[in-house]
Amino acid sequence: MNFGTIDWVVTIIYLVGSVVLGIWAKRYVEDLAGYMVAGRNVKVYLGIATFVATELGTVTFVYYGELGYVAGYAGFIIGILALVAYSTVGQTGFIIEGLRRHRVMTIPEFYELRYSRRVRLLGGIVLFLGGVLNMGVFLVFDGIFLSEVMGFGPGAVAVIMTVMILIVIAYTIMGGMFSIVITDYMQFVILTIGMLVATLAVLLRVDLASMSTAVSQTLGAGGVDPFVNPRFGWTFVVWVLVSSVAAGALWQPGTSKALSSESPAIAKRMFFWTGLTFAGRAMVPMFWGVAALAFYGTGLPTTAAMPRLLGEIVPTGFLGLLVAGMLAASMSTYSAYLLAWSSVLARDIVGCTRTRDFPEATTVAVTRVAAGAIGIFLLVFGLWYKIPDTAFQYIYLTGAMYTSGALGCVAAGLYWPRANNAGAYAALLLGAAAPAGFLLLEKSRDVLPGWLWFITDVNIAGMLSFALAALGMVLGSLLTQRSSPPRSLPSVEHT
Amino acid sequence: MTSGALFWTITFAVAGVLFFGIALVVSIGGISDLRDLLGKSGRRKSKP
Repeated sequence: MNFGTIDWVVTIIYLVGSVVLGIWAKRYVEDLAGYMVAGRNVKVYLGIATFVATELGTVTFVYYGELGYVAGYAGFIIGILALVAYSTVGQTGFIIEGLRRHRVMTIPEFYELRYSRRVRLLGGIVLFLGGVLNMGVFLVFDGIFLSEVMGFGPGAVAVIMTVMILIVIAYTIMGGMFSIVITDYMQFVILTIGMLVATLAVLLRVDLASMSTAVSQTLGAGGVDPFVNPRFGWTFVVWVLVSSVAAGALWQPGTSKALSSESPAIAKRMFFWTGLTFAGRAMVPMFWGVAALAFYGTGLPTTAAMPRLLGEIVPTGFLGLLVAGMLAASMSTYSAYLLAWSSVLARDIVGCTRTRDFPEATTVAVTRVAAGAIGIFLLVFGLWYKIPDTAFQYIYLTGAMYTSGALGCVAAGLYWPRANNAGAYAALLLGAAAPAGFLLLEKSRDVLPGWLWFITDVNIAGMLSFALAALGMVLGSLLTQRSSPPRSLPSVEHT
Repeated sequence: MTSGALFWTITFAVAGVLFFGIALVVSIGGISDLRDLLGKSGRRKSKP
């Protein structure tokens, strides 16, 4: 057991602090905009803190740590791609500026403005399914991380995880985006301290030369060159770049930070500066993973190697800080994701089955029930689902299920006047087809005919989803201009 | 250390400085943003 009394004290103080702060923030919620986008009053620094905290969960550390352990330095390319993608979205305002100007609260809401209520319903369903499947494995990885770092068996960790998710559900249901923004700030500070502690511990215990030697002996040239590494290659690099641009602009939990900002200009600055942190977000945990390779060699379970290293080298006292940091990272991610997917379920799926929107109070009530139901689903799904390929690739693929179609629909909707309903339907359905095909067929590759094997390659399935969605939007729109004339967007606020 | 490993180690150092540097600035600046958010929302809510 690695965890001492002082570590427990630090962790419990943190958990109690989160509950008190999250529930206290409920007093600031007065209407739907207050609940879902914090009244659109979030400024740059706070926006960056909440955005980074949302996008950095324990699952992020685990999947990047795993990549560092199995692929060496080659995976570091992902950090550069993410930095380029997110800061470009921030610098140019690509999509996020337009969405913020139209004052939407969820991305499918834009589909109704530009296309139709039915497109919004379909977009909401695809987004919800992709989002919940994506989030479904988070708890598994959190469990692995905590079990290795703290030195307890899976039973004790399951209890901690359940307590954590119940706390998150409670404050997200009650305080919505207000609770999220306020707790995210505190969680951002704590998780940054946790990351710093872990990085310093790694630098003190594992020397850089032995990391280089371990990578070259284990992986050869593929350990430093992503284009040579068999896990990556050109397909992977192009897919991750396109996917990062799409996720940067259109991943509901992240985009909701732009939609909560005080103005479109602040949304852009928030994205640009957050984008600059994204190289570190990927490379810091990958560096820990490479250190685990140097420390233990190969042969450990790939997701467990990095957390096991941290559990062994971080001293008692600091370990509590690290665990509090990781719990903070997870809680800020869960809260934002829970609110994002429950908002989509309430407003874009349940709400769109009616001809008119629910009253605001009903929407907030439905969102609260949905957040509770999704939280319970996470606990159940996380226990039995076994992910294919690496965690990173599963997360990106389930993300692509939605972002590929959304990229086609929203980018064309904002910047291409000829985009219409038929194009939007085709983009959403074709974008979801390749990732869904992979998830369904990957486990039965042996019974597939040879010409269908390409769909069981995670990188090809991911890349294909973006290509098919773009093709669907362009061909679908051009072929049906007469039968389905494009609708123009309403005029918007300018700042 | 191989040249490839050296390249990525330097890139990691730059990325780390950028991450922790921005985190420090945001942690300090975020306090006033937080006060501002709560102030505005409190005033809005207390209006009849």
